[in-house]
Amino acid sequence: MGGAELGQIFVNALLLSGILALVALGFSLVWGIMNIVNLAHGAFIVLGAYITFFLHELLGIDPFLSIPVAMLALFTLGWGIQRGLINQVIRAPLLATFLLTFGLELLIVNLINFFFKADLRSVTTAYSGTGFTLGTVRIPYIRLGALAVSLVLVAGLAWYLKATRTGRAIRATGMDLDAARLTGVKVATIYAATFAIGAGMAGAAGSLLSMMVPFDPTLGGGYTQRAFAICVLGGLGNVANVVIGAAIFAFVDVFVGARLPSLSRAVTFAILVLLLILRPQGVAGKRV
Amino acid sequence: MKKAAAIAGFLALLALLVALPRLVSSYKLLTYTRFLVLALMAQGWNFIGGYTGYAAFGNVAYFGIGAYTTGLLMIGKWHVPFFPALAAGALLSALVAILLGLPILRLKGHYFAIATLGVAEALSQVADTWDSVTEGSTGIDLPLKTEGEFFYYTALALVTCGLALTWAFSRSKLGNGCVAIREDQDAARMLGINTTLFKVIAYALSAVFAALAGGLTAYQNIHVTPGDFFRIDYTLQMIIATIIGGAGTVLGPVLGAAVYQLLSTYVWSKFLELHPTVLGLIIVLFIVFLPRGLMTVLGSKRQRGERPFRASDLLANVRAHRVT
Amino acid sequence: MKRTAPAALLTFALVLGAFPALAEDTISFGAAVSLTGKTAKEGEYTRDGYNFAVETVNAQGGIVLGGKKYKIAVKYYDDESKSESTAQLIEKLINEDKVTFILGPYGSAPSGTAAPICEKYKIPMIEANGSAESIFSKGYKYTFAVLSPAKLYLKGLIDLVMSKDKSVTTVAVLGENEPFSKEVASGAADYAREKGLQVVYQELYPTGTQDVSALLTNIKGKNPDIVLGAGHLQDSLLIVKQAKDLGVSPKAMGFSVGPSSPEFRANLKSNADYIFGSTQWTEALKYDGSDPWKTPKGYAVAFRAKNPKYGDIPYQVAESSAAVIAFCRAIENAGTLDPAKVRDAIAALDIMTFYGQIKFDSRGINTFKPMAIEQLQPDGHKYTVFPSSVAEKDALYPMPAWDKRK
Repeated sequence: MGGAELGQIFVNALLLSGILALVALGFSLVWGIMNIVNLAHGAFIVLGAYITFFLHELLGIDPFLSIPVAMLALFTLGWGIQRGLINQVIRAPLLATFLLTFGLELLIVNLINFFFKADLRSVTTAYSGTGFTLGTVRIPYIRLGALAVSLVLVAGLAWYLKATRTGRAIRATGMDLDAARLTGVKVATIYAATFAIGAGMAGAAGSLLSMMVPFDPTLGGGYTQRAFAICVLGGLGNVANVVIGAAIFAFVDVFVGARLPSLSRAVTFAILVLLLILRPQGVAGKRV
Repeated sequence: MKKAAAIAGFLALLALLVALPRLVSSYKLLTYTRFLVLALMAQGWNFIGGYTGYAAFGNVAYFGIGAYTTGLLMIGKWHVPFFPALAAGALLSALVAILLGLPILRLKGHYFAIATLGVAEALSQVADTWDSVTEGSTGIDLPLKTEGEFFYYTALALVTCGLALTWAFSRSKLGNGCVAIREDQDAARMLGINTTLFKVIAYALSAVFAALAGGLTAYQNIHVTPGDFFRIDYTLQMIIATIIGGAGTVLGPVLGAAVYQLLSTYVWSKFLELHPTVLGLIIVLFIVFLPRGLMTVLGSKRQRGERPFRASDLLANVRAHRVT
Repeated sequence: MKRTAPAALLTFALVLGAFPALAEDTISFGAAVSLTGKTAKEGEYTRDGYNFAVETVNAQGGIVLGGKKYKIAVKYYDDESKSESTAQLIEKLINEDKVTFILGPYGSAPSGTAAPICEKYKIPMIEANGSAESIFSKGYKYTFAVLSPAKLYLKGLIDLVMSKDKSVTTVAVLGENEPFSKEVASGAADYAREKGLQVVYQELYPTGTQDVSALLTNIKGKNPDIVLGAGHLQDSLLIVKQAKDLGVSPKAMGFSVGPSSPEFRANLKSNADYIFGSTQWTEALKYDGSDPWKTPKGYAVAFRAKNPKYGDIPYQVAESSAAVIAFCRAIENAGTLDPAKVRDAIAALDIMTFYGQIKFDSRGINTFKPMAIEQLQPDGHKYTVFPSSVAEKDALYPMPAWDKRK
């Protein structure tokens, strides 16, 4: 591997970590605050991708501009699902909520498949695939833009959780449910807000992915799995951890992919398991 | 008196199950065999996931190891007969589970779950690329075996043994120890329970069951590929079956497997393009109204001689588990 | 309760799944194709191809057997793009729905799963969408494929480029690790070596890969003249997208699966220009067959009239129709519905159709029909460019670098 190639691979990994951080952000929030592993997260991502696709295809709206629309739509859907369904079983054993989201995932993905068919789609704009060259390294605009959007949303969420009343209530509920309730926090509402924000972030990730990879209704499953791995790598409980987890995942995946593509997933997961055994609380997580 | 009636009923059911191949078409027999195979996997998962409370998320790894070991021994140069090959697969799975379990059973909750998932994914890719042994993604073909009854009876015998074993487990020091670990691991250790040993045994048991299911399915399907036999769906199915029936109960996994398999087969044949929606909806409703599984309703009411499945019970379930 | 609940379930189960018996003068076929999951689109093509042929044959009176006319009916199930479902569904079709013959699923992996089941029950299957030779190396007697084998997919593309440019020396091959694509990739690499080219890169990536930037960066460093991709539509789209991202500009770029599908242009817009794709069939080919449509053009016109949503006709549609035609002819030749006799008639079949010659080698795969190469050109159309005897247009070569295009 020459120096130029190494530089390119490094940049590839860096750009990939941005989008992966956004993919895992909402998943991590929901898991950390409510202890729900949301298997429908990938389905939310797919919905975001479809919203951006249709706004671009039918109304000619630039995909970056449709991100807020996708976020708002998914926020609303997430709120409804949490209030209507998940809040009903949230105190049942852990695996019950897990299965509930599994059922939701089946349902949403199949309905998308039914209404929009299994056609592969992607958002292709005039600037798709264009970029600039830095020395020998190619930097595509869309991936760079996706990295920027991801960073803004990650920072925005971190600020929101720290600085706003609702944000602080969300964190308090995640730390100690009963204490939060005693201070007058409406848990059902806070949970709905948390889940809705998580879904909104998934929507944004879907918008960005629609420009980067061809997608169909089944796109989400793989990303749920990646989000799962990223949260474990980074550890829960802090927005910054997601970024660290995503960066580790992206770098391992890209560098192994460059040497041993057919075993990339095996090596990535082997490293994941080893890391877990050595640092069970996640690489960046605090020991509890 | 009641016990005698229960035993009589059980024997009657067993007799019906034994006579089944003479009563139904060979495709229905296949559906029942699939149900038994799922029950077998769920019974295994119940040891680690139900009794011990460790959400193992990669048991399909042992399903795959069982399938490949059985298959490769049967078609390799030794031409090992099916049952010894199946036993070898189970043994190898147990060994792998013990070696892997020692480090990863130190992890808790979701971290344990993702570690097991990681192991399953990694093994799947190894099988996918190890051309010289597994023929990679192309897969291997086992000898043809056409008698559906053979698979049905083998599965039935294994599930019956599984029931007996689970029953004995639930009444043993080992089973009680595992439940103690599930409720409070630190307290269990304080009581003098060798938690590592107990967890590893439960995990190895679950691996053996998955491997038996894998070997049997391999022989029945004939064509074995990594894509099919390391598919995460199998892990999900065994968890779903156990939860629907009731985790940590003797009959729960079998009951859950019956409900899941028969429902999904039915939905599959009736709704060509929307069957995942219908199945998803059923799972959602199940979890909302019966989050702790069927056995909780059937089991607890039986003691008081009340009628099960009243609407008020279902609503009480919802009230007990919601937040407001 | 412990007793009655399982018993009730059992009774419930016993009454499930009874289908109305079919009318007497009908020959029933069964097919398990993917209608949901990863290959749902290709499954839809397959089903549309089967249905169109069945409707056409039925409209012309059906299959004539001993002076009596039989209509064809097809029972479908969805295998969810999972080949373990295929095994179960084929069992269901044979045992429960009592179909007489099996039409194949979509894809090599499910076809490989279906083959031993058909063998088990000695029910003939003609499949149209599984060309991995691994299916046909097991000695199965009841499985036949109307399409050309996987290893030939990219052969024509190498021939085409070499005829255009004597100076090409290097090839990079990347493929998906699944039975069909693996054979396409190794077949292409072997053929390139045979032709004296140097294969500078040959790797497989796992199914479901969402980022090939690492592989492409590697390939860029080797600067090959030809880049060949052996995967499915999704992979081909991803490779083109990321090749442009990273400025990978070989003299020719081609794929086994993808470019022939209308979705390729729909997704990539002008970035699809100059890309080559191999295809089992195009409507530009010149065959004169003895089937209801005779020529590729005739087939295309009739198919579009029935299925107006189609513009270009994917080859999966045509080969699926061809499988039905092959079955009809074999049944008529056998003069009976006896599966073993029909099997022998299929093995002996040698007919010319709109799809090309249908004839099976001793393993059961059609090695007698050539593959064609298409190219997407900047005027927005797709042309058959190889073999040159049937080419609609000359191939545009070399492919201009990404940043040199308008």
